[in-house]
Amino acid sequence: MTVTVRLTVNGRVIDRAVSARRSLADFLREDLGLTGTHVGCEHGVCGACTVLVDGRTTRSCLMLAAQCDAASVTTIEGLTPSDGLSALQTAFRECGALQCGFCTPGMIVTAHELLAENPTPTREEIREALSGNLCMCTGYVNIVTAVQRAAEAPSDK
Amino acid sequence: MTWVGTAIPRKEDGRLISGRGSYLDDLSRAGLLHCAVLRSPHAHARIVSVDTRAAEALPGVLAVLTGAEAARVSGPIRPLIPTPVPIRDYCLAVDRARFAGEPVVAVAAVDRATAEDAVERIAVEYEPLDAAVDPEAAIRPGAPLLYPELATNVLWHDTFTYGDVDGAFAKADGVLSERFEIQRYASTPLETFGVIAEHDPGTDAYTFWTNDQRPGLTLAILAESLHVPQSRLRLVVPDVGGAFGNKRRPAYLLIAALLARKARRPVKWLEDRLESLAALMHAANGVMDLELAYRADGTVLALRARDITDEGKNLVSPTQHNLIKLGNIANGYRIGAIQYEAYSVLTNKCPSGANRGIGKPFMCFAVERAMTLLARRLGLDSAEVRLRNYVRAEEMPYTTPPGARYDSGDYPATLRKALARFDYDGWRAEQRRAHAEGRLLGLGIATSVEPAGTNLASYELITGRRAASGSAEAAMVRVEPDGTVRAAIGDPGSGQGYETVIAQIVADELGVTPGDVSVERGFDSTTTPWLYLSGNYSNKFSVTDVGAVLGAARKVREKLLRIAAHRLEAAVEDLELSHGQARVRGAPDKALALRELARTAYADVLGLPGGEEPGLEARHAHQNPLAEPVGPGRRVRSQLVFSNAAHVCLVEVHPRTGFVKILKHVVVHDCGRELNPAIVEGMVHGSTVHGMGAALLEEFRYDARGQLLTATFMDYLKPTTLDVPDIEVDHLEHPSPFTPLGAKGVGEGGAIPGPAAVANAVEDALAHLGVVVRSLPITPERVWRWLPRRADG
Repeated sequence: MTVTVRLTVNGRVIDRAVSARRSLADFLREDLGLTGTHVGCEHGVCGACTVLVDGRTTRSCLMLAAQCDAASVTTIEGLTPSDGLSALQTAFRECGALQCGFCTPGMIVTAHELLAENPTPTREEIREALSGNLCMCTGYVNIVTAVQRAAEAPSDK
Repeated sequence: MTWVGTAIPRKEDGRLISGRGSYLDDLSRAGLLHCAVLRSPHAHARIVSVDTRAAEALPGVLAVLTGAEAARVSGPIRPLIPTPVPIRDYCLAVDRARFAGEPVVAVAAVDRATAEDAVERIAVEYEPLDAAVDPEAAIRPGAPLLYPELATNVLWHDTFTYGDVDGAFAKADGVLSERFEIQRYASTPLETFGVIAEHDPGTDAYTFWTNDQRPGLTLAILAESLHVPQSRLRLVVPDVGGAFGNKRRPAYLLIAALLARKARRPVKWLEDRLESLAALMHAANGVMDLELAYRADGTVLALRARDITDEGKNLVSPTQHNLIKLGNIANGYRIGAIQYEAYSVLTNKCPSGANRGIGKPFMCFAVERAMTLLARRLGLDSAEVRLRNYVRAEEMPYTTPPGARYDSGDYPATLRKALARFDYDGWRAEQRRAHAEGRLLGLGIATSVEPAGTNLASYELITGRRAASGSAEAAMVRVEPDGTVRAAIGDPGSGQGYETVIAQIVADELGVTPGDVSVERGFDSTTTPWLYLSGNYSNKFSVTDVGAVLGAARKVREKLLRIAAHRLEAAVEDLELSHGQARVRGAPDKALALRELARTAYADVLGLPGGEEPGLEARHAHQNPLAEPVGPGRRVRSQLVFSNAAHVCLVEVHPRTGFVKILKHVVVHDCGRELNPAIVEGMVHGSTVHGMGAALLEEFRYDARGQLLTATFMDYLKPTTLDVPDIEVDHLEHPSPFTPLGAKGVGEGGAIPGPAAVANAVEDALAHLGVVVRSLPITPERVWRWLPRRADG
């Protein structure tokens, strides 16, 4: 069974017929080629597949593409400037906030939402906000530091 | 300018931060099919019949592969360590399933969903058998046997004695005897394991894109099992989303290859999380009876251990955990006599195998728990008993009774620095105050050695004959015709920043910047130099990889200097490579850019010195000189150079819920020369958190029938940002005299003592209740059972 959806992805309007059982993550990755969104567990725990749907962080592995009709979806590709890196991405790089990089897009999307709501979070608030995103490599220390540094960066204020 | 030793940001991060990485599942091929695997629901069962007709009839299904067919068209999987009686183990279960989750049938279809639909249509009739689940029970006569032809589940049993163990125990003032257990856990890389396999029927050649972390060994297995020469195999590793030892399971590469050959289309197979947790790789669980013979002053005279390792259905690398424990049994202490009795036991569980530290976290847990218990028994501080027993800096290099050689380091200074950084005395005082208020604070110390590089000759202890041996890696450095630099290495990496560190090393040798050096992502067997020993394992980067890169870069450097000397009419000794030029020292106007030297080497070859071969490319394989065959008395250097670390941990145990909160954790670490301090620090953080997960959260729990009870991330709990503190790291730097740049291993250093440090801290908080922590993880439920019952709780 297929469903027709019309949605906005990273500012671009998309019209597609999708299988009713297609997850948003698979739709983004396989139908649209947006492979920056990663799939780590497919049961909504690890947070690697986090994207913004209408501005809110969403597990794209737990949402169906068919549910996204009329929605606006933003992925890591949409949060990356066409030239260079965002302040958050720059802070991740400078702080050594990634190793294998598989969790990083989801972390950046989640941190982006946090900083939009709370431009000056404490380390505890950052830890709370990122608690739904697993990282197996970094032990989180430098990720928390990177988000803090991005919050302090002049370009983000 | 020296780039090695500086904390430059990583070259690979730009693409990974922006979603432009290229991981396995990001790759595709024209006509790509997707594979799904039917797995045994039983821990142990005879496969009576397999009916795939309904699956094959499903539209979109292109190929189905059963175990019987796999056994007809492919060979068994070569073990790393041979079993006493050869066992033919194929990529799919043939007539018997030996763990819940073992692959039984595989399907290739136009998409993954269709393949999974097809799997549901396969009818397998099983005759369930009793399962061997507990490793001690599996040893006993009458236990269910995984392989009746072996007549036992014990793959290997041996006792190693070094020094006068019985004499030391006889003359000791006391003996501490304890039994420790370790659970099954894994580092669970966030990207799961997978492969795309393609078969070219015209040449009968195969290409594999895979996140396999040991391509050298895997290529040998693939060639043997597919009955093709290695010259017709190509293996490519893209960006890898973490590996930690887990990503080695050639069976899946074979399944995908056989399906691709059958369907005449490329096939992708990627584990889902359930498959990964249930069937990829677990650190072995096990039981260890440990005895310390000690003098009244706390000096440990001898150590005796009886270790039972639960391999699950591990036919690829059994005994690996045992052997590595033997090599690390002294754990930095000057213990004169050591006896190690080891069992490697098959059970009906997921195969055990490589996981960050292999065996060392348990060895360290047992020794460090015992040292802490000894301190308690003697009324000594935990730190003091360790300081009295360490190998001292002036004794380096120090050879332990089983033959490990501690090459460098200052273990007492490492612990002292950690205690000072932690404010150990201050927290001891605070602990007493808190106890008076009913708060349960505990301080734990654990220290460890962290070896790097495996000497495969050590497996001769197991098999009685030498097969693979030593430790080596291969690399290539090339100045391209336009003067830019490219490097590649047989170790594909899996997130450790190799592209950056290799660029730093090459930049120093060739007088350029890391930005001028492009390091090949991952691995491609047709372009990357590699050996059977190649791969991302055993903490080996500092021990072999650095030497390979350095050797290749130096060959190119020497050639550049020879060409420059010829062109500038100067002596090689008077030249230097700097700022992208070869120039005469003290006469910077007499210089030639790399680009100009490259033009000579590749294009204007009549300008080369007489006899000089055109081109500017060199390959080098570095063999670490410390690896030697097994010596007299069964002593062997099974691993090569040793980092060390001291962890000090502060926990608070909730007196009502049993919940353990890590409040503070200090790591002082010595990995020799730090090639990139920022990368080192990140690895220490991450590795330590792996240890914390094992200490408090993670366990693959099986029921008595061999069913895995924790097969999702909702049951198998990983540390989140809220479970771990900001780990504080400090360093000592004692370069190894036995590695090319003095660097030592760093990836495992936190994961080895981490579990012991946390366990020691929890026990310290509860010591007044007589609690002894003998196993992990220390879940709130377990702690709650130790706590005194209250009328209101």
